[in-house]
Amino acid sequence: MNQPEPSRSFLSRHQFLIYRLFSLSGLIPVGAFLVVHLLTNASVLGGPESFQSRVDMIHSLGPLLVPIEIAFIFLPMLFHAAVGFAIIAGGLPNVGSYPYVGNVRYTLQRATGMIAFAFIIGHLIQLHWLGAPLRGSEGGFDPHHATSTAAIAIRPLLVSILYAIGVLSTVFHFSNGLWTLGITWGLWTSPAAMRRANWVSIAVGVVLAAAGLGAIGGLRTVDVAKARGVEDRMDEVKRMLKGEMPIEEGRSPAVRGTSNSSLPNAGPVSSEGT
Amino acid sequence: MIQAVETNHDAGDVATAAGHGAGATSRTIHVRVLRQDAPGQESYWERHAIPYEPNMNVISILQRIAATARAEDGRSVAPVAWDCNCLEEVCGSCTMLVNGRTRMACTALVDRLLEDNSEEIELRPMSKFPVVRDLVVDRRRVFRGLERVEAWVPVDGSYDHGPGPRISPEDQEDAYPLSTCMSCGCCLEACPQYTKIEVVQREGESAEAFDARRKAAFDRGFVGAHAISQAMLFNAHPTGRMIADERLAALTGEGGIQMCGNAQNCVAVCPKHIPLTRSIARAGRAATVWAIKKLFDR
Amino acid sequence: MAQPRVLVIGGGLAGLAATMRLAESGTDVDLVSLVPVKRSHSACAQGGINSVNALTRQQGDNEWKHFDDTVYGGDFLQHQPPVKEMADWGPRIIDLMDRLGVPFNRTPEGFRDQRRFGGTLYKRTAFAGATTGQQLLYALDEQVRRYEVSGRVKKWEFWDFLEPVLDASGRCRGAVCQDLVTMQFRAFPADAVVLATGGCGLVYGRSTMSMVCTGSAVSRAYQAGAWYGNGEFIQVHPTAIPGADKLRLMSESARGEGGRVWVPRKPQDPRDPREIPEAERCYFLEERYPKYGNLVPRDIATREIFDICTTDGLSVEKDRLCVYLDLTHLSREMLDRKLGGILEIYEKFQGVDPRVVPMKIFPAVHYSMGGLWVDYQKSSSGGLEEGDPKNQQTSIPGLYAIGECDYQYHGANRLGANSLLSCIFSGLFCAPSVIASGAAVRKTSAEESSRLFDASLRRQEARHESLLARRGGNENPYDLHQQLGGLMTRVATVVRRNEQLAAAYDEVCGLEERWQRCSLSDTGNWTNQNVVFTKSLGDMFPIAKLILKGALLRDECRGAHYKPSTAMPGIAATDPVEQRREAEEWCDRFEANTRKWLKSTIAKHGADGHPQISYEDIDTSLIPPRPRLYGLVGGDVIEEVWRERQRAAGQAGETSPQPVAAGA
Ligand SMILES: Cc1cc2nc3c(=O)[nH]c(=O)nc-3n(C[C@H](O)[C@H](O)[C@H](O)COP(=O)(O)OP(=O)(O)OC[C@H]3O[C@@H](n4cnc5c(N)ncnc54)[C@H](O)[C@@H]3O)c2cc1C
Ligand code: HEM
Ligand code: SF4
Ligand code: SF4
Ligand code: FES
Repeated sequence: MNQPEPSRSFLSRHQFLIYRLFSLSGLIPVGAFLVVHLLTNASVLGGPESFQSRVDMIHSLGPLLVPIEIAFIFLPMLFHAAVGFAIIAGGLPNVGSYPYVGNVRYTLQRATGMIAFAFIIGHLIQLHWLGAPLRGSEGGFDPHHATSTAAIAIRPLLVSILYAIGVLSTVFHFSNGLWTLGITWGLWTSPAAMRRANWVSIAVGVVLAAAGLGAIGGLRTVDVAKARGVEDRMDEVKRMLKGEMPIEEGRSPAVRGTSNSSLPNAGPVSSEGT
Repeated sequence: MIQAVETNHDAGDVATAAGHGAGATSRTIHVRVLRQDAPGQESYWERHAIPYEPNMNVISILQRIAATARAEDGRSVAPVAWDCNCLEEVCGSCTMLVNGRTRMACTALVDRLLEDNSEEIELRPMSKFPVVRDLVVDRRRVFRGLERVEAWVPVDGSYDHGPGPRISPEDQEDAYPLSTCMSCGCCLEACPQYTKIEVVQREGESAEAFDARRKAAFDRGFVGAHAISQAMLFNAHPTGRMIADERLAALTGEGGIQMCGNAQNCVAVCPKHIPLTRSIARAGRAATVWAIKKLFDR
Repeated sequence: MAQPRVLVIGGGLAGLAATMRLAESGTDVDLVSLVPVKRSHSACAQGGINSVNALTRQQGDNEWKHFDDTVYGGDFLQHQPPVKEMADWGPRIIDLMDRLGVPFNRTPEGFRDQRRFGGTLYKRTAFAGATTGQQLLYALDEQVRRYEVSGRVKKWEFWDFLEPVLDASGRCRGAVCQDLVTMQFRAFPADAVVLATGGCGLVYGRSTMSMVCTGSAVSRAYQAGAWYGNGEFIQVHPTAIPGADKLRLMSESARGEGGRVWVPRKPQDPRDPREIPEAERCYFLEERYPKYGNLVPRDIATREIFDICTTDGLSVEKDRLCVYLDLTHLSREMLDRKLGGILEIYEKFQGVDPRVVPMKIFPAVHYSMGGLWVDYQKSSSGGLEEGDPKNQQTSIPGLYAIGECDYQYHGANRLGANSLLSCIFSGLFCAPSVIASGAAVRKTSAEESSRLFDASLRRQEARHESLLARRGGNENPYDLHQQLGGLMTRVATVVRRNEQLAAAYDEVCGLEERWQRCSLSDTGNWTNQNVVFTKSLGDMFPIAKLILKGALLRDECRGAHYKPSTAMPGIAATDPVEQRREAEEWCDRFEANTRKWLKSTIAKHGADGHPQISYEDIDTSLIPPRPRLYGLVGGDVIEEVWRERQRAAGQAGETSPQPVAAGA
């Protein structure tokens, strides 16, 4: 910082606005999406049907889904991440000298942000259509076979552990972020209010962590073959409802499918993911 | 920056007799000081050994060092330079890193420090401000922060206009703690978001031009909890409020409130226990409302 | 005429008040200070600031009574017009500070709250928590910062004032100062120079004052020819906390809230104070002053503590005066509520909880009533003529002094909470006088002016260089300072004796000699605190000498100056007739003493380095002097006689002269 330039860049002139949009983006839409996503995933605990029907609900958006995903999830997330990295680069963590709770949280907020970033990239590569070119045609998530494809992806112990770390980091990042967001925007100002808000954010964190870990646990324990059967059946019903398949014919192949398809790429890879 | 130094424990009291009482302990305190002769020079550690006395604080250690001007190995050295004035934690002069943590040297009691680490006491200059010499740092940026947020009541003048506004005891109790801020800079030193800005005078640059350039550099950096809290103090005052918008404009400018990352170190290290995070949150709220208002008022 | 420019040295309350007023009047100000002005010593004041207010007015108070309390508390040793003017300004000053945002404590209805301090019957003292001085200082600092931003004021912080620059006619035309970082010298030409450099506690080694209170600036003005007034009047506060580096104040309010002062009956009883039974404790203030108990005024409390420790040998510690101030019988809840702030200070520095263990307290040097002699212009109403260039002007034309460094307002003894008022008052009030004085200055040619300043700069550079170049001297400035402090504290504080003072004077001369042989441990030219301190130490000796000489020559007891050999004891007789006779004698003696000693001491720096002492009559035209009979045996009889005499002399003033208990 040696020569202040006379003309200030767009970024420095609008620093406040950018930081506030960054903060907001953490909650809406990125945070909101995270909540929906984790709760959706947790529905796998209710059995493949319940998970599948939620996934179906999301995919009922049809062709709108891609633009919505890009505009309301990817771009905000990229924006949040870009500003986030800039903020991280500008700070000078010092928990070593000042090991106070708040400071530990400050440092964790940064660490978990970076972990979340890595995790999300990995997650996308592994399951999302965006990652398809990177992973080749293997794997990926089939929205018509939500439980089974996800379960197969996450099964390996190492993957499960990485997912658990990723999910917990993201959840910490979000719920701790909720608390700091309240300070940033001035929702809670007194120390007492901050303490109360802290309980709320802890509660949110616990619920989301439970949901996230529950989903991982659920996917690890679900009977993939059975799930596949359920999914195929549901898929048939959907197609029949859409008129893609005559109602009488529809039933038997699905039943057949249940017994043999435990392969990851058994179903057609859809162009949408959640 | 003048330091008077006492080499003996008795001198200043209204003493009836000179000399020491019996039972003087012969314990030695080891002190390690991070020294730097001038800006831009290398820093280096120097060790000192000081005879222990009861009731000592870090200031009295530095006084002993100045008086003896000898390092532990017997070499004669220039006295360590440091800042102090009130010696009772109200002037804000003597901030330094004692055993790695920012605090006022005058309230750093040796007995307490030895409880934590009986081996040695470590003294370092603040790390977020340019070192002038040894433990003396240049804290002009702290005061510049007060200018940035116009931390004053904009009165018409000092001629008589009767009493000030009436203020409820609750409001006074709210404002008073903020008003005890002595601009010591502890909150800034501990803040992970507040980073050092050191501007060096260029060859042939006039003092005025240098000053302006330095101020501009300061103004782009984070204002810090200290100034945010003062802005809130004056925005709460019935007259001070009249330029609340100007303060909020400063707080939402570059290096403003948005730079805070909510680490809350500031409030943990403030020697005056000022509720800084409350001020920061209030500033956040005011900035939110103000920014929205501005958006629609345009 | 060119844009007026004034140099203000010192940014405590006084210097900042003056700077604010000058800047507001369109004058450019250079403000020089050893420390950032926000860190000035004024921040230490805890108690409060006095003035008449709406509430006390309805209880019968008025400006005149405040004025009366101040001169009575000061034992009549001050010129009365300036004190009257100050008391008159009091309410306006508090209003102003209130407008500037000082967070004064509030009543439930939102008015300023007030407390009572020593030396008055009224609740005159406005306060902001336990940090009134800090709050007042900050309010002024903020206003000055406003002017700094607008360009009217230029601050020179970490600069040392070295000497006033006088022209051939003896008028001050500016000053030479030194940058404490780069060690550069600089000339500051100015239409007038205002000194607001505070007290000189460091002449006593450790005191309750801050580390820059060396008195060096005042000494430099004195050595350049300014007169020094009432130097021997040094206030010693009875209750301070010891420390290896400084003595910290323990506010009077600890006693106000019920604190009891005692010593063990057995000298230096080694037991834990809590284990010493009641019967073996001596509550000497309560025993000797049953009526006032522990709340006797400052000078008396100090003297009693001194007495019990020296005469009776009952000091808690062997080497120094030390007594217990005990709060342990009071409820913790009440202590926290009313005294929280000050108890924390004790805890912070002593590491002991005073709610559980009795505090050890000591008397400590606290305030200097004396200072640079300054002039004033009396107005027809008995106050001051505002804007007259003479107000606050030292004996050097164009050089002004305000705040603790002038001698004007507190006489022989300062009342609590009056100093902050005098600082702000003198700062505000001097501004038009300074401007008027500056306007009258004959314009000097650039050439003449540079010749003037060059000579000063060269002199200061030479002094600096010679200090740095001193080699092989075996004297350590810090040791010398400690010896000076110890000596001054021993002989020139609570009790003064001529033989000691005379011997001490010679000793100080010896120390000054030895100072010439100081060699520095730092000979560099960058932030050299060693040389700056050594210089200021050298400048402490002239002040020490004038204090000692003034004390030696003043053969009486007045306010803070107490010589046992000249004390006027109370009445010994019990028989009423005999009592009456003694009282008459007492009053005769009092009147004779007043005629002889009711005079300001004026010290002038002699060419030989010794102070030349002379005396100046005091303007007591508004309130005739009367005895302070506080705690004196037979005081009531003396008072009766005194009143009769006053009536006979037809001297009934505006207030009935009523000797009330005066606090210090
Ligand atoms: C512990 C304590 C408590 C007190 N409590 C009260 C109270 O409750 N009520 C009350 O009325 N009074 C109180 N007093 C007294 C009062 O605080 C002081 O008298 C008053 O603050 C002095 O103010 P000042 O402006 O004259 O000087 P200071 O505040 O002492 O400022 C002096 C200024 O001069 C500068 N300076 C000094 N020497 C030089 C130099 N050589 N070159 C350049 N600059 C220089 C300094 O940097 C500083 O800025 C108290 C005093 C003490 C010690
Ligand atoms: C799942 C995705 C994410 C969610 C839901 C999310 C949510 C949030 C929220 C709610 C905040 C609080 C904002 C505030 O305090 O005002 C926040 C802060 C932050 N986020 Fe994210 N975030 C996500 C991903 C990321 C990523 C990928 C990064 C990049 C590394 C990142 C970096 C940060 C940083 C550094 C902060 C702290 C900002 C500060 O306190 O100053 N976040 N996040
Ligand atoms: S807020 Fe506290 S830590 Fe920060 S400058 Fe003020 S007193 Fe120091
Ligand atoms: S809360 Fe903000 S200002 Fe305080 S230490 Fe943390 S980042 Fe810095
Ligand atoms: S010396 Fe004033 S705060 Fe430490």
